[in-house]
Parts: sequence; structure tokens; C-alpha cells
Amino acid sequence: MRTARDERARVRGAQEGSVSDLETLFRTHWPRAYRAAYLVTHDAAAAEDIAQESFLAALRALDRFDRRRPFGPWLHRIVVNRAIDWTRARRLRAEVELADTFHAPPAPSSPADDVLAGLARLPPEHRAVVVMRYLLEFTPGEIAVALDLPRGTVNSRLRRGLDALGDGL
Amino acid sequence: MKRELERVDVPGEHEARERAWNVVTAAFSERTPVPQTSHWPRVAAVAIALSTVVAATVSSPGRAVLDEIREVVGVERAQPALFSLPAPGRLLVASDAGVWVVSEDGSRRLLGDYREATWSPFGRYVAATRENELVAIEPDGDVRWTLARRGARSPRWTGSEADTRIAYLTTTRVHAVPGDGTGDVDVGGPSHRVAPVWRPSARFTLTYVDTLGRVRLYDIDSGLGPWRPAGLSKAFRGPRKLEWSSDGRRLLFLTRRKLVLFGSRSRSPLSIRSERLVDAALRPGSHELAVLRTREGVSELLVGKRSLFSGTGRFTALVWSPDGRWLLLGWPAADQWVFVRADGKRIRAVSNVSAQFHSQSFPRVEGWCCAP
Repeated sequence: MRTARDERARVRGAQEGSVSDLETLFRTHWPRAYRAAYLVTHDAAAAEDIAQESFLAALRALDRFDRRRPFGPWLHRIVVNRAIDWTRARRLRAEVELADTFHAPPAPSSPADDVLAGLARLPPEHRAVVVMRYLLEFTPGEIAVALDLPRGTVNSRLRRGLDALGDGL
Repeated sequence: MKRELERVDVPGEHEARERAWNVVTAAFSERTPVPQTSHWPRVAAVAIALSTVVAATVSSPGRAVLDEIREVVGVERAQPALFSLPAPGRLLVASDAGVWVVSEDGSRRLLGDYREATWSPFGRYVAATRENELVAIEPDGDVRWTLARRGARSPRWTGSEADTRIAYLTTTRVHAVPGDGTGDVDVGGPSHRVAPVWRPSARFTLTYVDTLGRVRLYDIDSGLGPWRPAGLSKAFRGPRKLEWSSDGRRLLFLTRRKLVLFGSRSRSPLSIRSERLVDAALRPGSHELAVLRTREGVSELLVGKRSLFSGTGRFTALVWSPDGRWLLLGWPAADQWVFVRADGKRIRAVSNVSAQFHSQSFPRVEGWCCAP
């Protein structure tokens, strides 16, 4: 999908029930949605759940979607907010093994490289800001709106995030 | 920085994308009205089948083949109608016409135009679904309450004399609602289409399969109290069925290529790998396993290691009687139900099953419940 015009056409097609247009939207935006969720949660299964649920949420709201707006940022905003919610919830509720009847839940993936290790040292809210800025290419102003944060907080989180990643790298 | 973030290896990206796409398209198809399809392919298929049968009948070798098929498909001397059940209890049956209750004396009552159904504890009520609705019904068909939910399906009812819960799936989520139809709770999701099951002998522990193929357990401490995750298995491909043993100590999980039994004495679940398994069910009051398998066009029923019954074509829907003495299996190619006693010493078959339930497709047994 090369242009914003193409994307608007795909969104309109999906709104009218075209599976092929929906598939184009899905295949265009899934990789970044899944990657963003993974970089915030560091858990592949959770990232899949989050990206999938975000697409379903987008699908439910598709009829109301304003086609003049770009689809990707709208979807990615849902993804990142859900990923932050998930990491916060995980702190509060640990999934535990059921006596001798079940395998232990799969451990969160260990950082595969220095960037991942650097991100892992950041609080999830800071990770989200870094991911939105550098992977999803939101501006600091857009991040502030999407995460309902003051602009200064976004800038400070970006700075601290980059410092931490710089140390790791 | 962007390049570094894009270089991070994200595990299982391709598989996750395909799984998600399946879920998204399923949700999308339920959102969008399915366009009317042409009847020509079906008409053509019927015409081809008919001409084949005619051609076979008019030639003597063809007639011999048809005679042979007639002999090997179906139990000979089957009863022409379901005159009675071989064991106490009542059946719930889903057909094209709707959901039926079949009493022990063979009498049938159509409850209404529902797709799926389940018995309440003690068989006092039935929970059923139709498009976008969960319905609680008395066994005489009177509706107690309804709950509108998008894509409601796979209801399962559990509880005691005083307190019950109905679990069910919506388009992508797992829900549970008290037996009076109020206080519906979104338990979690996204969920696989496998029906959720309640763990017996435990207070409202719900088991379901998520879209990654992981079995999840959730407990409610009391009433509508907080749901908290209690267990989580590793991921399995192609989930098809979940079933608890009646004492709640074994969990059967059937997938496309495996039969997995959780709760055995060893720490790891018992896993049998076979692509020929069609269905499996745990005998009430024990941990004995009945299995349907098929190979080279022949299906077979086994209880433990004993083969009790076999026949040409595919068997479906393995159901134990409530007393654990009889098994019921469907034989669509013969349009028969076959009741097999668990000791293998008696077999009762019933023909013309589809017509008895006013159905073009082969009726599905939803449950065999306790006697009234």
C-alpha cells in the first residue's frame, strides 16, 4: 500500500465488506503492530494477543472510522496502549502453575540482543514512548496525545530511554 | 535507532500473523452479511452424483458395487426409529430443525430453532444459542430468559442446587453468566472456537483454549468475585475438544494430531500422537478413555485398549451415557446412531436418524444427561 490514497481506498473497501481490502490492511500493518507490542511487553504470546485484539477492536470500530485519518497510527495507538496495560497488569497478577497438572507458563522471552536488553531495563511506559517514536515514527506531540501525557514527560522519557539504550549499546 | 528496533528478532512472527488473520477474518465474516451464493455448484454436484448412481444401477457390475456398499455401511437389523434409550437419562440433539430433547422412552420434543445446547446441572434446564443470543429454556421449551451477545455459541452450564454459571463464547471472548441470566462477566479472550468446560468438583473453575492453543484455567473465588488466572499450559496446534473427568482430576485435550491428558501422576501430561483420532471421551466415574479413530476409510471405537466396534466411513460424536455403561456414536454414512455397551457385549443401532430429527445434515448429540 503505497499512498495514503490507496489506504483510504482499502479502508473504504473493508468498510463495505471487502475481504481482500481488509487483508491488505492487515498484512500491511500487522508486522509493526506485533513488533511494537513485543518490544513493549517482551512476551511473544502476549504480543500476539495484543496485536490480534487490537485488530479486532479496530474492526469493531471500522464503520465509525474517519477515512481522512491514517489507519496505521490509529491502530498502533490501540496496540501500544494495550501493551502498556498488559505490562502493568502482569505486575499485579502472576500466572501460576496449577499443581502437577499443567506445564509452567512459558517464560518471557529473554532479550535477543542489546537493544532488547536495553529496552528491558526501562519501565514499560518508557519503552512505549521509545517504540512509538523510533519504530512507529510518531512525533513527540502525537505520542503525548496518544498516551495522554504532557509533552515534557514524553521528551524526558525519550531522553532517559535513549540514555539507557545508549548504555546498553 | 529505528533500524535497531526493526532488527530485533521477534519470535513466531509468521505463525502469529497467520493465526491472527484467521481470527480477524472469522470476526469480519460475522460482521459482514455473507453474499448469496449460486445454487449451481450444488445442483451440478447433485446431478453428477445422481447420474453416477443411475449409471451404477443400470450396469450389473455397478449393481454389485452398490449391494456391497449397502452391506458394509451400517449395522444390519438396526431399529427403524429410536424407540428407547438403552440407559437412563435424556439426550439433547441439535439438527437443522433446532434443538431436541429425547426422553428415555424415545419421545422427542423440539425445543426451538437453536443451534447448540447444553444441560443445566441435574438436567432441569437447557441453555441454548442462536444467532447473537444465549437462551435459558425449560425442558418443555418455555423460555426463562435471553441474553443478546454477538456470535454467542458453545454454552456450558455448571453449579450446585444453589448457584450455577453458564460459560459461553462470543465472537472472540469467553463469558460466564449466573444461572438467572444477570451479571454476565467477560472472562477473557481472545478464545479459540473450542467449547469451554467447567472443572467438576471445583467451584466455578473454567477451562478454555486461547487463540495460541494454550489451555487456560480461571477460578472465581465466590459469587461474581474477581477472576484470577490459575493455570496455563504450553501451546498446542489444532485444538478440537476439551473435557474434564467427572472427578475433575484429569483433563482431556484433543488436538488435530494429539490426545493430551493432563493430571496424570507424572509431572508432564500424557500425550498420544496420532492423526487418526476423531474423538475421545472420558468414562463418567472413572478415568477410562473411549476413542474413535479412523484409518483407510474404516472407523473404530476403542475403550481402553479394546476395540469394541468398527465400520466403513467416519464415526462422529462419541458420548457416554450418564451411568458410564453405554456409548453412543454417530455414523453419518449409514444415517445411524450406534449404542455400544462398554463391555462390548451388546450393540443397538437406530436408522433414519436424520429424518427423525427433520434434518438434511446428520444430527449432533449435544449431551446425555441425568435422569429427571
